[in-house]
Amino acid sequence: MSAQLRVDWPACQARGLCHELLPEVVELDEWGYPIVTGEVSEELLSDARAAVRGCPRLALRLVD
Amino acid sequence: MTDGPLLWYLNRGTGVVLLVLLTVSVVLGVLAMGGRPGRGVPRFVTQTFHRNLALLSVLMLLAHVASAVIDTYVDIRWWQALVPYGATYRPLWLGLGTLSLDVIVVVVLTSLLRTRLGHRSWRAVHLLAWAAWALSVAHAIGIGTDLAHPDGLAVLPTAVCVGAVGVAAVARIARAVAHPELTTARGPA
Amino acid sequence: MSAPAPSPVPVPGRVRIQRGPALLAGVDEGPTLAAHRSRYGPLPTVPLAELDRRVSAVGLRGRGGAAFPFATKLRAAAGRRPVVVVNLSEGEPASAKDTALALGRPHLVLDGAVATARALGSRDVHLVLPADRPDAAAQVRLAVAERKDRVRFRLHTADARFVAGQARAVIELMAGRPNLPVTAWAPEAVSGHRGRPTLLSNAETWAHVGHLVLAGEATYRAHGTAEEPGTALLTITRPGFDAEVLEVPYGVRLRDVLPPFATGHPALVGGFHGAWATWETLGATRVSVPAMAAVGLPLGAGVVHVPDPGSCPVAFTSAVVDYLAGQSAGRCGPCLNGLPALAVAVRAMAQGRDAAARIDELTRLVARRGACAHPDGTVRLVRSLFGALPEEVAAHRAGACLALPSGAASRRVVAR
Repeated sequence: MSAQLRVDWPACQARGLCHELLPEVVELDEWGYPIVTGEVSEELLSDARAAVRGCPRLALRLVD
Repeated sequence: MTDGPLLWYLNRGTGVVLLVLLTVSVVLGVLAMGGRPGRGVPRFVTQTFHRNLALLSVLMLLAHVASAVIDTYVDIRWWQALVPYGATYRPLWLGLGTLSLDVIVVVVLTSLLRTRLGHRSWRAVHLLAWAAWALSVAHAIGIGTDLAHPDGLAVLPTAVCVGAVGVAAVARIARAVAHPELTTARGPA
Repeated sequence: MSAPAPSPVPVPGRVRIQRGPALLAGVDEGPTLAAHRSRYGPLPTVPLAELDRRVSAVGLRGRGGAAFPFATKLRAAAGRRPVVVVNLSEGEPASAKDTALALGRPHLVLDGAVATARALGSRDVHLVLPADRPDAAAQVRLAVAERKDRVRFRLHTADARFVAGQARAVIELMAGRPNLPVTAWAPEAVSGHRGRPTLLSNAETWAHVGHLVLAGEATYRAHGTAEEPGTALLTITRPGFDAEVLEVPYGVRLRDVLPPFATGHPALVGGFHGAWATWETLGATRVSVPAMAAVGLPLGAGVVHVPDPGSCPVAFTSAVVDYLAGQSAGRCGPCLNGLPALAVAVRAMAQGRDAAARIDELTRLVARRGACAHPDGTVRLVRSLFGALPEEVAAHRAGACLALPSGAASRRVVAR
């Protein structure tokens, strides 16, 4: 089962931890904000949950 | 065993280590927020280090309190470790330490529940960590017997800790002034 | 920081309202409750099932820009005493249709909201008024004072900002927080005002509901096409003239509703979040939500801006993007950083430099990366310049401009 990573844009402050924790799915734009490049596959789900928990602004959510 | 010098040494030792741990936690907390991503130490490393040190200091706090309570040389009851009022042994200075402990417990618990609390409420509570640190320093200076002598073993670590947090606080305030948008409590609760 | 760029089309001080076939039929009779009741009679009580049946049968869609089916919202919100919200804030300066309804047909709008609130068992009807259109707001207050409904009207005033009228921004305002968009994790109809289901639509949508409740389905179907019954309100703007609001049946050619001075020139359809269309496209396109969506020309909130004949659409687009960049709430990073960068790039193109690659890069970086559709709408406008007016774009990339001070209009027609 794959999931989508969604960004709460007003909450995001470009801290960049999501890219460090989940580089497979999250790139950073020229200002440091995340670019979600695709779905979160089954294998990456636990890393994605870590990214959601680790976001200093709690600006990420996993949705089905 | 409960009246020997071992507990007394353990209490003093954990006290000094605690001060260092809390200081490093505070400094790492500030470091985890600063700088630009992609430079130097990855941010999640700093953040993980900050969290693990803080959790370690809770264990150390447990040992610090236990050694003080079990030691029969001074009369400190279990409840006096949690309620910052009404102690018989140096009530003011012990009370400050107790208050610090209470604040630390709240800060740690809210951090463990952070994803449920929402960022704004968590952050408001988390700022109390500064107060907990300051209370613990006051407690150390007031009650710490090793600090009573200028040549005591604890003087240098305490001075370094106060200096380190002082620098971190200045850096934090400077950043808040330079980038107010990063530090205002915005976004959904 | 410099002051935000002004709107290239200012909020209209005066609005010319043309009498229309349905919503604007009674506009000459004045905005009073007495005039309204003498035209339509008393407001009937319509059960929810019947209201649902009627709005589904005529395929009523939201008129705020997203064209979302009203019946879907109604059903999602029903059952839990939803909050009913009439959004009159009209954040886009060029739009004046909700203003026209507030000034001319306020009770039709209120009847739509009140009938729906009664059908849903809701007691509160929230009205969100514009801060920068004092006449419209005053007329709505007068209209509320005239009524004796068994609902409570709660009035709010939205900020004079482009994104202040966005649904989530309005819900923030109602909750006493800053009037700015936030991330929606669920539709408003499921979780809106203070977490309650919220049926939020703009004034024109409520006026259509009112018309459908008061006049009945057959009368509603008298205009428009079989597939798309009813009418739509358009705002026609032109530099130096009062905004003009007219009601047109679905199915008419866009070209036929435009004033004579528009002949032969491209127009901006759908407002600042809309798209450029050539005169040929305006002639081939009918006023219709699906037909216009199919050719990438969203009707949006119904604004058609006709630039001065011979003026440069690239320069106008640049002015609009400057304005839109300044209207960002500044909360979402890609919008906060990307729209000013996009404004710089579009201005460079307007000044005759080749910025197409940078513009393309920025539109990709900005689109769909915000709490509201503000970046998406801005991107749609910029991309439409490339899609609809490639000759103008090519000329600017080569350092020239097709719009010359004199004779440009005729030259443009000859060139095609």
